[in-house]
This record gives sequence, structure tokens and C-alpha cells, in this order.
Amino acid sequence: MASQGLTYEGCNFFRQRLILSTLTGKWVKIKNIRSSDDNPGLQDFEASFIRLLDKVTNGTRIEINQTGTVLFYQPGLLYGGTVEHDCNMQRSVGYYLEALLMLAPFVKSPLRATLMGVTNDQRDPSVDTLKATSIPLMKHFGLDGEGLELKIAKRGMPPGGGGEVFFTCPVRRTVRPIQLTDPGKIKRIRGTAYSVRVSPQMANRIVDSARNILNKFIPDIYIHTDHMKGTNAGKSPGFGLTLVAETTNGTFLSAELVSNPQGQGSPMLPEDLGRNCAKLLLEEIYRGGCVDSTNQSLALLYMTLGQQDVSKALLGPLSSYTIEFLRHIRDFFQIMFKIETQMPEEDSRRGGSKVLVTCVGAGFANISKTLK
Amino acid sequence: METKEHKRHQHKQSGPKAEKKKRRKQQEKGAAENKDVRKRNPKAFGVQSAMRMARTFHRTQDLKTKKHHIPLVDRTPLEPPPIVVVVVGPPRVGKSTIIRCLIKNYTRQKLGDISGPVTIVSGKKRRLTFVECGNDINTMIDLAKVADLVLMLIDASFGFEMETFEFLNICQVHGFPRIMGVLTHLDSFRNTKTLRKTKKHLKHRFWTEVYQGAKLFYLSGMVHGEYQTQEVRNLGRFISVMKFRPLVWQTSHPYVLADRMEDLTDPEAVRVDPKCNRTVCLYGYLRGTYLKNKTQVHIPGVGDFAVSDMSFLPDPCPLPEEQKKRALDQKERLLYAPMAGVGGVVYDKDAVYIDLGGSHMEQPQGEPRPATELVQSLIGTHTTLDAKMAESKVSLFSDGAALTSEEMLQGGEIQGPTESRVWDPVAQRERRKAVFSDGEEEGGSEEDGEESDEDEGGRESEEEEETEEVQEGQSGPPVKKQRVGGTVERGPLQEVPAFADSEDDLEMSEEEEEEEEGRERAGGVAADSGHCSEEDMSDDGSDDEEDSGSSETEEASTPKGTTGKIDRSKVKAPEECAEDDEEDSSGAEEKPVALVGISSRMKKSVAKGMDAEDDGDEDDDEDDDDDDEDDDDDEDDDDEDDDDDDDDEEEFTTLKGVSSEEKRKITAPLQGMEEEGEGEEEPCFESAGALKWKEDLAQKASAVFLRQQQAAPNLRKLVYGTVVQEEEEADEEEELGGLFRVSRPEKGRKQRMDALDCSRFTPDGVRDWDREEVLDSIRDCFVTGQWEEDKDAATLLKEDEELYGDFEDLETGEVHKGHAGQQEDCKEEESEEEDDEEEEEVLVKEDEEEKLKKKRVEKKRRLKERFDLEYDDGDATYFDDLKEEMQKQAELNRAEFEDMEDQMRVQYEGFRPGMYVRLEIPAVPCEFVTNFDPHYPIILGGLGASEGNVGYLQMRLKKHRWHQRILKTRDPLILSLGWRRFQSIPLYHIEDHNGRHRLLKYTPLHMHCSATIWGPITPQGTGFLAVQSVTGVQAGFRIAATGVVLDLDKSVTIVKKLKLIGYPYKIYKNTAFVKGMFNTNLEVAKFEGASLRTVSGIRGQVKKALRESPGAFRATFEDRLLMSDIVFLRSWFPVTVPQLYNPVTSLLLSLGNKDSWTGMRTLGQLKRDLGVRNQPDRDSLYKPVLRAPRHFHPLHVPPQLQKALPFKSKPKQEQRKGAVPRDLRRPAVIREPHEHKVAALLTALSTVHNYKRKRAHSQQHGKHKEFLRQKEREEEEKLKRQKEARKKMYRMMGQQEQKRERSSLKGAAQDS
Repeated sequence: MASQGLTYEGCNFFRQRLILSTLTGKWVKIKNIRSSDDNPGLQDFEASFIRLLDKVTNGTRIEINQTGTVLFYQPGLLYGGTVEHDCNMQRSVGYYLEALLMLAPFVKSPLRATLMGVTNDQRDPSVDTLKATSIPLMKHFGLDGEGLELKIAKRGMPPGGGGEVFFTCPVRRTVRPIQLTDPGKIKRIRGTAYSVRVSPQMANRIVDSARNILNKFIPDIYIHTDHMKGTNAGKSPGFGLTLVAETTNGTFLSAELVSNPQGQGSPMLPEDLGRNCAKLLLEEIYRGGCVDSTNQSLALLYMTLGQQDVSKALLGPLSSYTIEFLRHIRDFFQIMFKIETQMPEEDSRRGGSKVLVTCVGAGFANISKTLK
Repeated sequence: METKEHKRHQHKQSGPKAEKKKRRKQQEKGAAENKDVRKRNPKAFGVQSAMRMARTFHRTQDLKTKKHHIPLVDRTPLEPPPIVVVVVGPPRVGKSTIIRCLIKNYTRQKLGDISGPVTIVSGKKRRLTFVECGNDINTMIDLAKVADLVLMLIDASFGFEMETFEFLNICQVHGFPRIMGVLTHLDSFRNTKTLRKTKKHLKHRFWTEVYQGAKLFYLSGMVHGEYQTQEVRNLGRFISVMKFRPLVWQTSHPYVLADRMEDLTDPEAVRVDPKCNRTVCLYGYLRGTYLKNKTQVHIPGVGDFAVSDMSFLPDPCPLPEEQKKRALDQKERLLYAPMAGVGGVVYDKDAVYIDLGGSHMEQPQGEPRPATELVQSLIGTHTTLDAKMAESKVSLFSDGAALTSEEMLQGGEIQGPTESRVWDPVAQRERRKAVFSDGEEEGGSEEDGEESDEDEGGRESEEEEETEEVQEGQSGPPVKKQRVGGTVERGPLQEVPAFADSEDDLEMSEEEEEEEEGRERAGGVAADSGHCSEEDMSDDGSDDEEDSGSSETEEASTPKGTTGKIDRSKVKAPEECAEDDEEDSSGAEEKPVALVGISSRMKKSVAKGMDAEDDGDEDDDEDDDDDDEDDDDDEDDDDEDDDDDDDDEEEFTTLKGVSSEEKRKITAPLQGMEEEGEGEEEPCFESAGALKWKEDLAQKASAVFLRQQQAAPNLRKLVYGTVVQEEEEADEEEELGGLFRVSRPEKGRKQRMDALDCSRFTPDGVRDWDREEVLDSIRDCFVTGQWEEDKDAATLLKEDEELYGDFEDLETGEVHKGHAGQQEDCKEEESEEEDDEEEEEVLVKEDEEEKLKKKRVEKKRRLKERFDLEYDDGDATYFDDLKEEMQKQAELNRAEFEDMEDQMRVQYEGFRPGMYVRLEIPAVPCEFVTNFDPHYPIILGGLGASEGNVGYLQMRLKKHRWHQRILKTRDPLILSLGWRRFQSIPLYHIEDHNGRHRLLKYTPLHMHCSATIWGPITPQGTGFLAVQSVTGVQAGFRIAATGVVLDLDKSVTIVKKLKLIGYPYKIYKNTAFVKGMFNTNLEVAKFEGASLRTVSGIRGQVKKALRESPGAFRATFEDRLLMSDIVFLRSWFPVTVPQLYNPVTSLLLSLGNKDSWTGMRTLGQLKRDLGVRNQPDRDSLYKPVLRAPRHFHPLHVPPQLQKALPFKSKPKQEQRKGAVPRDLRRPAVIREPHEHKVAALLTALSTVHNYKRKRAHSQQHGKHKEFLRQKEREEEEKLKRQKEARKKMYRMMGQQEQKRERSSLKGAAQDS
């Protein structure tokens, strides 16, 4: 019995394809991976990602050609369990964690993953952000309860890494449909200013500058300073800030900024970083929506995997990653989202236009979970 | 109107009348009081026993909770599909007869041969599909999965047959549909008593199988080959009011019971290779849940397929539209059964006949052709149903009268113009395909056929246009033919827009739009992702062609609307682009420019704020062009993009005021557009001819308008629609309306393809958050900002005040009142509630009253809400909350896509259950078509995510108690699981106490065991059944086992026991050297420490391998071994599950042999067939026991010992006895005759003597016995006497004693 499959080209949106493939059971063939590049084929971080998927699943078939430009991926069943993965240093743990967030509720035995590597970098959403935004988002979908936890044991900054993150997630058979159309109003702003292998004073300087800007809007701001020492501080110095705005309806919007890695780019002033990060948060608030811009695809995926009921969510402007994700969802699940624009009213001061996405879930059920 | 003031009635306050009234009132009150028994007799209702009360309470609670089911979201469609009524039973019980009778009962029509599903309208809200189930177990299994109601026919004169029970068990496994038994052949009973008894007996047996009280119908007898009308009517009534419960599998999977099949394969391809794979088109009502295009389906009996194309058609059997009347009209009693010949198509063994009413209409229908008669009636009904459709057909043919009359003679298969009404338009297309060699009509006529289906309303006004269109369509190019051709070369690979509309939909003229209203046919064009180069390129091509065909017709109709340039360009389009593709694709030079024009327009319309076209289209175009180039050069270059965006945004902000106007413009029939866009539209169109996708611009555009996509940026299109062909690099990545970035998959493909995979959405142009106005733009996002009207704290507070303003301070007794108006309200309310008598009205104006009333109602509602919240909260359980939630979700589900066009809705939701759909399935084995038999049901079962894969399945299995044999591990078994029937090799195993899964050789008799197979992934909890063979009829109960899927991977390892045997060859005390168990030292090393045991029960351990002989090892035991002991090591060996998945392809078998599918044979069958007999193990055979005689050595006593022994114990020196010498042997005595006589006499005498002696002895013995008896008697007498005497003596002694005692006491008394 030949199962269905899809063929793609290029290494972009690599994770989306493999994740959706794993969830739907359709095979995926990705061709021309950096075929015209100087350094053709899959890179180390992608290989590491494939290895992580292999650890989480059972019976997966992966074929890569000699040059690494063609990947064939036939997914097995999601298994979960205790997984320990040494993430590649090229990408931060967030890169891998995002995928695990998408897969974790649908595995056989609850996932307990320990990921080692770079926890915060300038490219991927950091672990702090995911902890502050993705975890509460998952709760909307009924994925809360015992064991949904994301813990940062050690912080690792690029290029040395050395961080450690512990992620556990309970298993669900089905996902609840959501109706998130009202983001509510921001009632508090929280954040974490972290610094490793630099002066602990850095964090305080960041906090001050960030507060300066945010105080214009709301007084309830608390930015936690997190200075890790010794083995918990990883191998490279660095500092950064993650800000999260929480609304009355339980929406979390976040922004983050990380200092330049050691030896790359000009050194950053913590004051600048704090200020810029606060501005980024304001930008994020301007975009608005019920889902943080980094978590758009996560929310869309869970909506797709819901029961055969209507799910609605108000998002900010769609990122190109999200748009591509929508297309991929259509490829794999044959599900299209109804996308409506909500223009801001004339004199409203509630940021830019929003996007209301609606879909009927695929009626997905976790087939890995054992029937007792 | 002036109302006269009447004198009011004065109530008597005193006097006899008032007294009487008072008395009566009191009496009534008393009576009411008395009626309440609780009050009258409170003691009887007091608590007698707390325990008892608790128990009753518990019991009521138990009963209450027992009724609860897990609440589910109600997903039943508003217009449900027809109910599937499956009629089952062994042969010759009257299945066809009852279907025929029921159909006659419902529709007053007679049906000849019942082949395939028959759909009828049975009532105002219900339709039924009757399916007859043959006696084949394959059919029974398939139909049990789709049945809503089962009519189980039982021949009462015979009793239950095995098939009945088999079917019941199949139903039990696959979800239990409603089952109604029907007893037939009751007229064969002569005796009423036996009849009654039989009925009772059968009823009770039926009840034990289904449920107590299951309905069993009696059909008492036949009248003229039919059942009695009254009884059939009763049965029909039962069916039409029956309620159904949702079955898990059916509600979670979409499925279609196909009632029509067509072969779409190119005849040429078939001619070249008769065995080529076919493209097949299946029709039927969609049931279950939503089915999406391009999903995988399983056809039981055929295999797995991917749907290549799917569309919905107008309902061939629609429910009556208005529900005014009580009963159905004759017109509304529809019947649809294409496979049975109703609906114009008759399936025969080797051909499909289409019934042509047309020219033969006038001829009286002969008796033996009831089907035709039906067709006639159906013609009538169909005309009424969608007269429009038929009309268009007629006009088509009447216009092309010459054509038909001529070609009728050439190609005999052309249908007359009148019959066309009967048929489904798609069917016609198929027919025509075969007929018209040039295939000219197909494009056009098909198109308008479908269109006419789509729009049923408001069609009349467009009739002329229609006809024109049709003409044009006829003269149009043979586009359809290509499509039908299947393998005929397709259009060039290209990206097809996700929706039939390209982005140029905005360039529609007003007239066109009106014209094309309701005609859009976009649904068929399945959105195909451009960025995913999937295998279905060919499909795209076909879709495209379809579209183009339709577009032509529409474009052809444009001359009517005289809109100048645009129209002209459009008129030009059909000829050019359709007739000659090459010319088009060779392209005009202005192509890129034109495209830019399009995209820029798009951008503008999307960005909604930009109304700037008026002043400078050209400029804009150029700008955009530049941008595009920039982007092409380097897409990732953010700076330039940012610039761009900033520009846009500025425009945006400045032109905000205009936006709403613009919006209006776009939604409205685009007058403004024309004005603005003429300049760019024309080139656009000219170049459009160059591109395939532009062929159907007009149509796509109309579709867009119909869907009423608001002028707001059409995100949907930007996300899902791929607009430009891959070759064209003239793209721009711009930010639209500050909303999001256009990221078309094909643009800058090379760069994007390998770009960085990152989910972070970094803003490209950060606003200047230092400026006050920018900060102001998000001010209200915070709790500190301004709130919405309805949520503002101040307003809420005020509202509360208004509502709950009055309150009484209980402590002080002070009464606070709300506003004056509020008080009035209260007054009003009070006065309302009082009797009419006490009307004292203030004349208020009507509207005011109205307002007040509304206010009151509102107030009441809120009060009630509050009250509910306060008092019902305790009652509201988790269950209620859950139910409420589900209810809300169901409402939302219904409401969300309710007012959307079906074409559109289908894309979001998928095809709804209840729709009549057409599914095109490519690559079907040719046997499916060549061996097609309408009597066998064709089911398309939709498969969920990853249900199309194969893997390991773990299941709980139990051999059916009625199956006569146990099942052997590794014997192939045919399973019915999910939609599928397949053969697989199960391994049976059972879990030991220590969690080990031990392989079983056979299934246990009356116990569950686990089974692991290699089979299709099916969700856990799905039931399955197993049969050993599906061939023919066998003796006994065919269902071998039933069970449920537990797990979907091979997470347990099945092991079987392995005993390794070795022999000791050296024994030292408790240590022994063992050989023969292993072959190498490595093996031994692996088993070091393993426990051993000998046959005699001595336990031990493997220690270490020995160097001298490979495989030998040293072992220690708890006791000394004997050399004769056998040592064994008990271990477990993992077993692999054989990977056999062999779908039962029973539908592909030749006609008449469909029930003879054989797969892999079991070992037993193989041996039987090949005549192989098992050679038994020679060691296990019974042999005669041969025991060698034992020889013992003579006892040897040493001479020393001999000397010491006493003589008695000394071994005697005995000579061996030799043979007796002859002289010592005594001679035999031979008597003389005389001596003989003497001897005889002596013997006689001695006999007599002996006898006498014996008698005397016995006499003596008897006498002695007598004597002994007597003696005994005497002894007894004596003893008795002695006893008496002793008694007497003792009594006397006792008396004396007493006396003495008494006297002594007396004496003592006297003494004292």
C-alpha cells in the first residue's frame, strides 16, 4: 500500500514539512537542498533536527543522498518518552523546542526532553520566550495539567552554548477547539533580564532602560534579573532581555533581544538593548492579536489538529513563516483557513490591523496513545 | 377614538353576596390545602429511617447519572444525507420484494431489478437509500459499516439461518446500527398455534441477539407477489419515524455509498491497452463527516486511492423545498437509482445502456418495461425540480437542430433533446463525449450544464444570454476533449491559482458581473499549492483546462455588455487564447509590464488605502516595476524593502480617509475601477492572452465577486493563491497595508527555497517609538487606556446602578431607590401584574411604552440571569457545563459558514455530509470497470490522517464462541478493520504475570488473548472481526474471531520459549562440565550466569566457558549430577511479526465469481491441497517395549568367609541335578478292562460316600447351630433375670439407704 506523500524543494521551512509529515503520516521528499550553494546539502543543525525527530519517533525511515541535497522522510509513529538531545550550536534550542512543542501532545508516552545547547541567540525564539508565551498558549487548547513544564536549568549563549533545558508535556488524545477573538487589554508586563559570564550589573542596567520606555503605558512592570553563575552559566558570555505583556484575557505578547555573541559584531550597551527590546515589545503590541507572532504557527497547527469544530483566533499580521505554514497545512491536511482582515477603527488606538483566522479542525486524534 | 367612560363595577364589601363570595374563596383555599397530602398528613411523610432515606437518595442519583452520556458536539448537518436502509437475509426470503414494496409504498412507482442503491424521498424531512445485501460475506461486511438501519429478513417457515447471526455479529463489531427484524413466509403455517409459537420463539431469540424488545415485524402473506399493502405501510411508517444514534466510526469518517459509476478513461487508451488503469468517476451522497478534496479513500474490495478531483452536484433527489403541506406531492416523491435503470442509465454486464425516452416518448410503454415507465415519470419530476437546467439543454439542442438531426443518423448514440432532462448533466457530458467525434459541444454544453445546476434562482432573466453562451460554447475549441482524453498532453506545467479567480478579478465590467452572477464554477478548481510541486500536476492541467473552457463561454457572452475596451479585449480573448495556445504562450512582449500592472493594482486594492491610481497609474506601474527588479536582485535585502514599506505606510496613513470609500468602490460594481484602470487593463489583457491562467479571467473575476470578498486585502488569495507563473520573475515583495508581507512561493524561488528557516517575525521597519503619536497608536491596548463602550468600567458601573439601584438596608430598614425612571418602571410592572379590574392607566405614547417595555424585558432578563447564577449554580454540574459548552460549539459550527456560497464553503470545510458529490479516481484497476456488477455495493471510505499507512497493530482478540475451531498462530486470517478487508498473519500472544508477552500456538478457547498483525494503521478502539475465508458458503459459523485495536506500534516484544539442552561429561562433586548446549565460547559468554536445571530437578548456573572444547562450559549445581542427567537452559526468543498485508480485492473478480476470493492459504489447507502429511517425530512414535532379560551373577562367598560361617549359612556344595536315569523313571500303568471297571466302581462308591458324609456333616452343622442359638437364648434369659434381680436388690438397697438417711436426719433433729 503506497501511502501518499509530498515533494518539496529547498531547505527552507524544513521543520514545518517534517513536523506535518510526522503528524499526518505522509512521506516527504525534499530535493535541491542548497544545491547551488557553496556548501551544498543539509547542514549540521538540520541533521541534528532529523536526529531529534528520530529519537521522538519510532519506525521512521530517513534517506539522505550522498551530497545531502535530497532527503526522503517516511515518518513512523510518535513515541516520546525520555529524550536527551545535544542540539547543534548553529541554532539555538528554540529551533528544536518549537518542533517539540508541536509534536509533544501527540506522542505515546509523555515526553520528557532534555535539550542541550544554546538557549538564547539572535535568530530563533529563545527558550525564555517560548516558556512565557507558548506554554500559556497551549493551555488554551486544553493541553494544561500536570507535567506541562519548561525549565531552564543552564543558560548557554552562542557561540559556546552549554545551556540545558528541560521540557515535559502531557499527552492528549484530542485538542480542544478555541475561540480567541478578544485579546483583552494588557494588564502587566513581565520580563527576564539575564546575564551570564558578565557583570551582574548588566541585567540591572537593561531593566532600568526598558522600564523607562514601558512606564509610559503601564505601571505594573516587573522585570526579573537572572544572573547565572558557574556551570549554569554556559560557556560564553552574553546578556539579553525577554519582555512579556500579559493581557486580561490571558494573551501573552513577547519581545526579546540578545547581545551580540562574543567575538561577533560590535559589543552592545545594555541600555541600548533594553531600550530596543522595549520598542520591539511595543511593536509587537502594535501588531497585537491573541497570539504572539512567534507562536502563530503553533496556534494554527493546534487549530488544525482540533476536533471537527470551528476554531477562531485573532492574530497580528501574518509572518511569512506563518503564511508558508498555512500553505503547508493545506498540502498536508487539505485544510484552508478563512482569513479575514480586521482593520483598526478610525480613531482607535489599538495598534495595526489584525487577521482573524477561522478553520474547521481536521478531527485529528492521537493515534499513538495506547488504549488501556 | 374616544373611549366612553363607563361606570365601574362596585364590588360588594358586605352583605350576603360578599359573604358568599368570601366563603367560597375560603373553601377553595381549604380544598387546595386538603389536596396536598403532605400537609394533611405530615407524619406519613416524615423521616422514618435515615438509612433508608440515604439509600433512596443514592438510588435516584445512580439512576440519574446512569442516563448521562458523554456529551458530544452535535455535528449533524442541517440537510442530512439519505438514510441507508440495508435489507439483508439469506437468499429467497423476499429481500427484493420488500424493497420493491417499500418503494411502491413511498413513491408509487414500481422498480424492476434492484441493483445498486435506490434513493427515494420518503417524507418531508427524510430520504432513504435502499440497498440489498447479497449473501456474500464481503457484501455483508461492507454494508454493515455504512448501514443506518438494517431490515433483517427472516424466513419464519425455516427459522433463523446462519447468515442472520453472522450479520448481527458483524454489526456488533462495526458499531450497531438500528436493526429491525422482518418475518416473512408466515403464510406457510397452516396451524395458528404453531404460527404463534414460532413467532414467539423467533422473537425471543431475536431479542437476545439485538436487545430486549427489539422490533420484529410480521409480514403475514403475499398478495399477487407483493406483501400486504397495510403491512408495508406500517413498516414504512416505522422506518420514516425511526431515530438513529451516531456510530463512532461513521461519525468520524466520511464515506460515500456510490450509486453511479462512470469510466472516464480515454477510449483510445483503452483500445491500445485494454488492461490499462482506468480513471473512474463515482457519484453518491456524502455521509459521515466532511470530506476534503484530494484525500485518500479506500474502496473495500478494490484498494486505496487518492481522489484526484471532487465536486458537488445538485441533489438528484432533493427534499421538498417548502414545508407547507402535510404530505408530499406526487412530484416530490422522487426516486433515484441510476444503477437500477432509473435516472436513465442501465448497467449491464458488458455495457451501459442509456435509456432514450425522446423520440420514443409518444410510443406507449409496454408492460414488460417498468423501468422506462419510471424514467418517464422521472422526466416529469426532474423538469419541475430544476427546470432551468433542462431548459438550457433544450435550447441547446433546438438551436443545434441541424446538427442533431444529421448526426443522429451517423452516430446512433446521440440522445434526443428531450431526454436530456432526465439525466444529470455530467452524465450527458460523458455520453456526448463518446458521440461527437469532434467533441465540440462538450466544453460549452458541459459548462452551462453545470452552471445551470449551480444557479437555480434568478435564472429566468438570463435566458437569452444563456442561449448565446451556448452557441458560443459550441463553436468553441475542443477543450473538454483533452480533459477527457486523460493521457492526452496536458498544458504546460504551471501554477494554478488556488481559486479560480486570479488577482485580476477586480477588472470586471459591471455588466459582466451581473451577467455572470451565480455562474461561477470555481469549486472544481482545487487549490493546488504552487510551492509544492506535487505529483498531481496532471490534475492541475486538467483543472485548468476545465476552467478555461468555462471562461470561454462566459467571455463569449460578453458582447452583450457593451463596455468598450475591456469588452473588446475580452471578445478577442476566446478566439485567440482558446483556439491557439501556442500563439498565446509565445506571448506578447508587454507581458511583464502587464503583469506588473496587475500586481500593482492588486497591491493597491489590497492596501485599501491607496486610491492614488487616479493621478498616476503609469507612475505607479513604473515604481512597482522598479521595486520588482529590486526584489529580484536581492530579496533578502531588507533595507530596500523597508523603504518600500515605509512609503506604503506613509501613503497609508495619509490616505486613511479615503479607504472606506475605496472599499465601497471595490465591492460595488467597480465603476471607479474602469475609470482608473483602463489604461492598464488593456495591456494587461492583451498580454493576458499569453498566459494560460488568464483565459478564465472573466470567470474567475465573477467568482470573486460572487463570493463577496470585501475589498479588504484578500489575504486568502495571497496566502493560498499563487498568482503568477513560475517563469515570470516580475515579482515584488512588498508589505501590503502594513499588514503582512507578500510571499509568493514562486518568486525569488531560488533564494527563498534555501533561506533560513526561522519562525521569528522580526519587524522590518520599526516605528519610531519615541514619537508621541506613534506611542498613542497603541495607547488603548493597555488597561490604562480607554476601554470600549460596552466594557468601560464607568458604563458598567452605571448599568449596574440602573439595574440594581434599589436595595434595602436590612439593618436600618432604609430603602434605597434607584433613579426615578426606574421606580416608574417598577410601578409599571406592578400594575401590569395586577388584575385587569384595577386598571388605572396613564395615557402614554405608544413608542414610549414600547421603550419602557423593552427596558422592562431587559431588566427582567438580567434579573433572571442573576437569579439563575445565584441559585442554579449549585445545581449546575460539570456535566451541565460541558453540555452547554458543546451546545455553544455546535451553534458556532453551524453559524460560521452558514451564509457562504457552497463553492467557497467547500474549500474551507470540505464537502459537507448530505451533499451529492462526484469523485474522480485515477489509476483504478481495469477489472473494476470490466467486471463491474451493480449488485455489489461500492463504498468510498475516507481515511483519516496516517490511516493510509501500514504498520504493526496490537489488538485484543477472542475467538468467537460459535466458531468451531481454535485459530493457529501464523495462519493467515482475513480481517475486517475500519473500512478495509484484508488478509494478514496474526501472532497470538498472552501476557504473563511478569509482563512478558508469550507467544501462543493457538488462541485460547474461552479467553481473550492479544494478537499482533502487520496491517493498516487504524485508530485505537476500533473493532474488528476475522474470518478464515470469504469464499462461498461453508458449514458452520464463519466469523472466527472478534476484537479491538489497542495499540499501533510494536511496543511489546513477543517471545517464545526456547530450551537449550546439554549433557554433562565430567562431574566433580557439585560442578559439572556440560557440552552440547552451545557451539562457541562466545555463546557461552553471552549466557554466563544463566540458570540451568536438570531433568531430575537439580538447579544450577552457567559459570564459564571451557577452553578445550568450543561450546562446553563449567556449571555449578546445588547437588551432584549423574552422568545420565540432561541439563537444560530455559530462555525466551523474540519472534518477528510477518509483514503480510493483502487487501481482499473481491470487487475485481469476474462477474459471478465475486464471492470466490482466495488469498494466502493456511498451512493446513496447503497440506490438504498438496497432499502433504506431517511426518511425526520418530522419537515420539509408540514402539513395542523390548526389555532385555537381566542376568544376575552367582553369589560368590569368599572361601575365608565360608570357613567362618556356621554350617547353616554355608553355601552348600550341591551337585547339579543331572537327568534322571532311565531305570529310575517310573513306568506308566496301563489298566486291564477289569481293573478299569473296578476303578470306576470304586470311584462311584467313593463319590456316594463323599456325598453322604457331606450331607451328614451339614446336618450336624445345622443341629449344632440350632443348639448354639438355643443356648444363647437361654443365656439371654438368664441375664435378664439376673438384671431384674439386681435391679430389685438395688432398689431395696436404695430405699433402705434413704430410710436410713432420713432416720439419721430425724435422729439428728431429735438430737438437736
